[in-house]
Amino acid sequence: MDNFSEVLTLFLSVDNFLAIAAGVLIGVVVGAIPGLTATMAVALALPFTFSMEPVTAILLLVGIYKGGMYGGSITAILIRTPGSPASACTLLDGYPMAQQGHAKKALKTALYSSVVADLISNIALIFFAAYLAKIALNFGPPEYFWLICFSLTIIVSVSGNSAIKGLIAAGLGIIISTIGLDAVYGTQRLTFDNYNLMDRVSFIPLLIGLFAIPEVIDFYTSKVAPHIRTAVSGASLTWKEFKGSLKTVIRGSVIGVIIGAIPGTGATSAAFISYSEAKRTSPRKANFGKGEVEGVAAAEAGNNGVAGATLIPLLSLGIPGDVITAIILGAFMIHGLTPGPVLFQENLPLVYALFCGILVSSFVLVFVGNAAIRYFSLIADIPKTILLPIVLMFCIYGAYAVNNSTFDIGLMLAFGILGFVFNRTGVAAAPFLIGFILGPMFEDNLRRTLLISKGDPTIFFRGPIAWVFITLTVASLVFAFRRYWVSRKEQQAEA
Amino acid sequence: MEISEVQSSKAASDHYGLLNPNSVLGGVFFVLSMVFLFFIIPNYINLPPYMQHPLLSPQFLPQLAGWLVLILAFVLMVSGLFNPPKREEADELRRGVPVLRQVLMLAAGAIYAMFFEQFGAIGSGIFASVLLFLASGLRSVWIYALAVVFPVVVSLLFIHVLNVPLPTGTLWEALFQL
Repeated sequence: MDNFSEVLTLFLSVDNFLAIAAGVLIGVVVGAIPGLTATMAVALALPFTFSMEPVTAILLLVGIYKGGMYGGSITAILIRTPGSPASACTLLDGYPMAQQGHAKKALKTALYSSVVADLISNIALIFFAAYLAKIALNFGPPEYFWLICFSLTIIVSVSGNSAIKGLIAAGLGIIISTIGLDAVYGTQRLTFDNYNLMDRVSFIPLLIGLFAIPEVIDFYTSKVAPHIRTAVSGASLTWKEFKGSLKTVIRGSVIGVIIGAIPGTGATSAAFISYSEAKRTSPRKANFGKGEVEGVAAAEAGNNGVAGATLIPLLSLGIPGDVITAIILGAFMIHGLTPGPVLFQENLPLVYALFCGILVSSFVLVFVGNAAIRYFSLIADIPKTILLPIVLMFCIYGAYAVNNSTFDIGLMLAFGILGFVFNRTGVAAAPFLIGFILGPMFEDNLRRTLLISKGDPTIFFRGPIAWVFITLTVASLVFAFRRYWVSRKEQQAEA
Repeated sequence: MEISEVQSSKAASDHYGLLNPNSVLGGVFFVLSMVFLFFIIPNYINLPPYMQHPLLSPQFLPQLAGWLVLILAFVLMVSGLFNPPKREEADELRRGVPVLRQVLMLAAGAIYAMFFEQFGAIGSGIFASVLLFLASGLRSVWIYALAVVFPVVVSLLFIHVLNVPLPTGTLWEALFQL
């Protein structure tokens, strides 16, 4: 009972509701602007959360994440430019619908499918996260070591078109993560006697540099692309039409939840699996790809079903499921919290206050999404020539705010140049971030295990939990490389 | 010229030559990882006088990551040489970009990086935004007014709403003292 009242005290504040509303709004707006991503928005919002309560801060970021997932589908439907890779599947039917004058119907289908999937995903999060955290309480350093190894396998999945380049980026991320004082011996590592580097490389300048600055540099080093305008037109979605797709939405949501709970699998594959499953079972399968409501519903359900589920491994095990949850993991750390089983033990009311907020965010998405459909042209017509100088300003102010140091501005710009080089050479930035975050965890658990066992390596292979993670690591690697290989073959065949 | 020759020359121009992004990137990372493994690690990672286990060494993880990058960079370089990647449509957008546009962007970045504390958050924000608007060739006066309004509003938001301090500008402080 005490816990319950504590949860309510933590959650029922105006700040939290404002944070959710602002987060979802920012997410949808950013997602609806071609070229800007939810990842960039979450990274840019992170410095704003310094002075906020932890629950408010995390809810703001989760709101942006969820809003961005939906926002990406708006541009996919209207201008055939998916705001995120996960929205690529939505355009298969969404864009043909818009071309046929049913843009409004497609957008409403995407919105309501997203909301239903998000809700199902959130309920799954509430039920499974605590259960998984309870199991994780039995983990010691060797089990965590293997868990981190398992999490590192997501690098292959987030490497984009080249696993080799992704692994190089991850290696660089790990190297950067080792800068600072050694945790065990206290000796200097790669600091070059610069006191700004003694306490590791700051997370926020690295994050903003990698994900926001390359967009700015890319814009000013490319020819200005023509600004595309479009209108939201046509009849709206009827309840009868949506009811006809409800089964598909629920199935897609479940697919999204299962895939989202597995680190690194990602929303893109969930959207495509949900879409192909809907196509396989639909009586209107011939209409898929030509402007089918069910196609849009399936893609969006799969895509958004992932959002809540990716928080399951984050909250219960402390490992990020994708890039945005990696950023949210950083936000937890900035606020002095460590996601994982201990969070459930020591801060249970906080976890449940977060759950309440995450549930509310689904309902907020309905209102914000409807407003976005109505005012889309106002959002998308802001030219990048005006937008990007403001984005750069936010980047600079945000990086400076971390330690009140111009060194961090330089650091951010350096990572921005690195991110730009990555963009131009087809290297994904996400593996770099995953390496940067998981590198120290890997080293920490390896060292703890060796210290406990006094250097005996057989400790890594004792106990069933360790073997479960060893099996999962190997299976995940095989699965990831196989999927990578198949998609490469498909790309070559298409070429 | 026969059709097959035309097709093969077109196919050849679709792909990069030996100096392609993959071989260059692989080569650069290969050299950098060599320098990292054989110069930076021995000289800039201090070892403690006694270690319980070699895996506990502060050099272990950087070495592991360094070797990973070295091997993969070599693979990337070789695959780039033997199997050059295809040119992308985006490459076309990157050709013929006015130099002034890029110089103005660099100048805006330099203002933020080097004069942020001297000009202050608002001052550097205004200067950099004006340069970036000029880089885009914007001519409307009201847009340049935005270059003043936005830095002021965002700075005040950071300082007063979010309680995040930003520099006011040592240059202005010195001028006002005069």
